[in-house]
Amino acid sequence: MLAPVLKKYGSIFAAIAKASFIAEIEFRLNFVMKIINDIFWYAAQIFTFEVLFRHTNLIGDWNLQQTRVFLGVLFIVDAFYMTFIQENLDRFSEKVRKGELDLLLTKPVNSQFMITFARISVSCVGNLIIAVSWFVWSLSQLPDFNWMKGLWIILLVPTGFAVMYGIRFSIAAMAVVFVRVDSMQYVWYQLYRLGMRPDSIYMPWLKFILLTIIPVGLIASVPARAVLNPPELWVFAWSLIAGPLFVAFSAWFWKQCLLRYQSSSS
Amino acid sequence: MSFTAFYKRNLGFYKLAIASNLEYRMNFFMDALLQPSITSIVEMVLWMAIFKGAQATTIGGFDQNSYLAYALWATFIARATVNWTYEFKMIEEIDQGSINGLLVRPMSYYEYYLSQLLGYKSITTGFSLLFPIGIILATGLPTQWDRFPAAMLLVFYYLFFVYSISFCIASLAFFFNKVQSLTVSKNLAMWLVTGELFPLDLMPDYLRKIFLMLPFSSGVYVPIGFLTGRIGWEFLWHGFASVTVGIIFFSALGAFLWQKGMRSYAGTGA
Repeated sequence: MLAPVLKKYGSIFAAIAKASFIAEIEFRLNFVMKIINDIFWYAAQIFTFEVLFRHTNLIGDWNLQQTRVFLGVLFIVDAFYMTFIQENLDRFSEKVRKGELDLLLTKPVNSQFMITFARISVSCVGNLIIAVSWFVWSLSQLPDFNWMKGLWIILLVPTGFAVMYGIRFSIAAMAVVFVRVDSMQYVWYQLYRLGMRPDSIYMPWLKFILLTIIPVGLIASVPARAVLNPPELWVFAWSLIAGPLFVAFSAWFWKQCLLRYQSSSS
Repeated sequence: MSFTAFYKRNLGFYKLAIASNLEYRMNFFMDALLQPSITSIVEMVLWMAIFKGAQATTIGGFDQNSYLAYALWATFIARATVNWTYEFKMIEEIDQGSINGLLVRPMSYYEYYLSQLLGYKSITTGFSLLFPIGIILATGLPTQWDRFPAAMLLVFYYLFFVYSISFCIASLAFFFNKVQSLTVSKNLAMWLVTGELFPLDLMPDYLRKIFLMLPFSSGVYVPIGFLTGRIGWEFLWHGFASVTVGIIFFSALGAFLWQKGMRSYAGTGA
């Protein structure tokens, strides 16, 4: 029952990946610049903390070596986000305005799947290589690091990514109801920015909110904490629940939005 | 007569940008106020954590309040001095050929978007600055109000510099079509060299000297450093001078690229 469905979506995904690659290399300057942009972004994040740690030994409760690990986790999750969903969800509001959603809804595939993976940013695959390299290097800089703890990452990075996707998709889905939600996506980036800093810098009440109600703290801080600090089991358990929960919520929310959809192409 | 026509025309473009940005009020509110407010709060919290970790009363010769004031202003001023929207618009028009509709009108393409950029920035900045002004007045974070007009004048002047770079990048679309990535690269680089992420005086000495010499520091560090008392008038004058050189350089480059681009442009679009 599940196998044919997986096969069908797997083949659609493969076709999309192939088409995306061809489309991206068509404009080579743009393709190269996209890769350079991401390197710039990583460099800016790293440079910021390297400069700040010239003037302090701790930010929150992490030192420079630990913050580098946090950045490694952040880069890995971000690489997944950039590769698979960023471009598609950023442009979704425009698609609704231009009436392109109608065509998509008539196709015999899950509309949420098609919106999420309409195009894959192949150039961002390089980000993943850079991110993983940085992460492994940062772990190797930790004194007496137990590499078995690194296994937490395999579990917690996908859940962090799922939470990120759930929130981002739900925000994008609002375009179906409100049409112009460009600024909502900027609000998302501000929320994401909260998650781009170690959660230990925040006051306890804000940290609690960032781990529960708006759980952007699960994106990078919690996975990084899993490899750096003694395990906080309730946070890890919540992280494992929150991933599927937010994806399920996004699917439910999408259906609710579609009920209120008024076609704009006809 | 010709100046009156020039003035009226550009005033029209300026008002057009204001009207179109106020069309979706929720969008405007989030763009002008909510976004930079959240960013500045995150940055201020980060500085509190840095001071707590450092267990020091000063960093680089300045106390926590000085950094909080810098972080608060920097977010808002950085947003005022960056150009995403109109640069993307210009690139897309050239790439897709919809620029044809503007080229046939009796106006200058350069003026059209410059005036719109100024209109957009004046309405969003004017509104969004209410937040830092309110916070500063309520908390007493260090700000020298007598320096405010001069600092804002530099910010306004810097917009001409930013626009001249945008015009160069947009003109490259005549040759390479999709150059949006260049905009992203440029703005990411600016993020670092303007002093938006942290005050430039925290950088290693050799980098600080280089960055202060360049006009980009006049986008954030110079006006904010001047406003919060980190730096004096000499830096402000230097900022005006370096921005002037930057405007001349990028305007000349933009004119060259535009002319070359127009010669090669086939205009087969909409």
